[in-house]
Amino acid sequence: MPPGLDIERLYDEHAQPLHAFLLNLTRNEADTHDLLQEIFVKLARDEKLLHGVRLERAFLLRLAHNAAIDLMRRRGTRDRTRDNFAAEMVSPFAPADDPDEETFRHQLAGALAELPPEQRAVAHLKLWEGLTFEQIAAALEISPNTAASRYRYALDKLRDRLRPLYEEMK
Amino acid sequence: MNTGSNSEFEQRLRRQPLKPLPGEWRAEILSAVAADVNRRQNNRQEPTATATGWSWLSNLLWPHPKAWAGLAAVWIFIFALNFSMREKAPVIAGKSAPPSPETVAELRQQQKMLAELIGPAEWRVADRQRVLSPQPRSARADILAA
Repeated sequence: MPPGLDIERLYDEHAQPLHAFLLNLTRNEADTHDLLQEIFVKLARDEKLLHGVRLERAFLLRLAHNAAIDLMRRRGTRDRTRDNFAAEMVSPFAPADDPDEETFRHQLAGALAELPPEQRAVAHLKLWEGLTFEQIAAALEISPNTAASRYRYALDKLRDRLRPLYEEMK
Repeated sequence: MNTGSNSEFEQRLRRQPLKPLPGEWRAEILSAVAADVNRRQNNRQEPTATATGWSWLSNLLWPHPKAWAGLAAVWIFIFALNFSMREKAPVIAGKSAPPSPETVAELRQQQKMLAELIGPAEWRVADRQRVLSPQPRSARADILAA
């Protein structure tokens, strides 16, 4: 290991949110594992990568986002059909004991999968990482206004898609 | 847009727990990282002949990269100039090439026909000699006036 970089600490502090973010973007366990490994290998190879970085989490989320987008582009040329994607789709949510809750999570996972990746990334970072639009903008290299509008579009789509189930469960 | 409903909906989404990171991944990923670092360190310790050559070249060029780049640009310019001159050479040679025997025969034929049309060449030569031969200034003036 490079002496100046504590990969184990980075892993323990950031691997969980990176895993959830990557799984939500790729919807594939094996791809998520590979991308997570790729990120930590990259960090170990170039210890200067984190020099001067103020927000480690935001920086690592950016690395994860770029790696996932690259993978999706490579995949996009190979399996264009949505059916192939849906067949191997994995939910980013933990299983629930309550059947209603499980149905909601399943529907939510499906609705998220239908969002364009850029909206899905913003929705994930806002809802499950609790980042502000400024932090999301920094992580995804977009403007805060773009982050806010993407979030609004994503939330509208999710609400429309889940409204019947949500109203029923309320 | 109903903001209250939106906020409630957002809260509902936020409460959905994400899948935990599989515990066995830690050892797998960290050992893969360590293996990669070791592999790279070993590669660095045993540089290949090509790597050594590049390193030597890099050390040589590094102190004055702009000077070397300028020199390279001058050489490229010289080569380009030389190449373009070489391309033009066959054209010049083509222009100065001797006429073919057929062309020479044709020219002689035309010359002969011209001679027949305008009279014997000997007369013209004698006449020209008479005109251009040195004569007194007054006689030359008469010829020019005629």
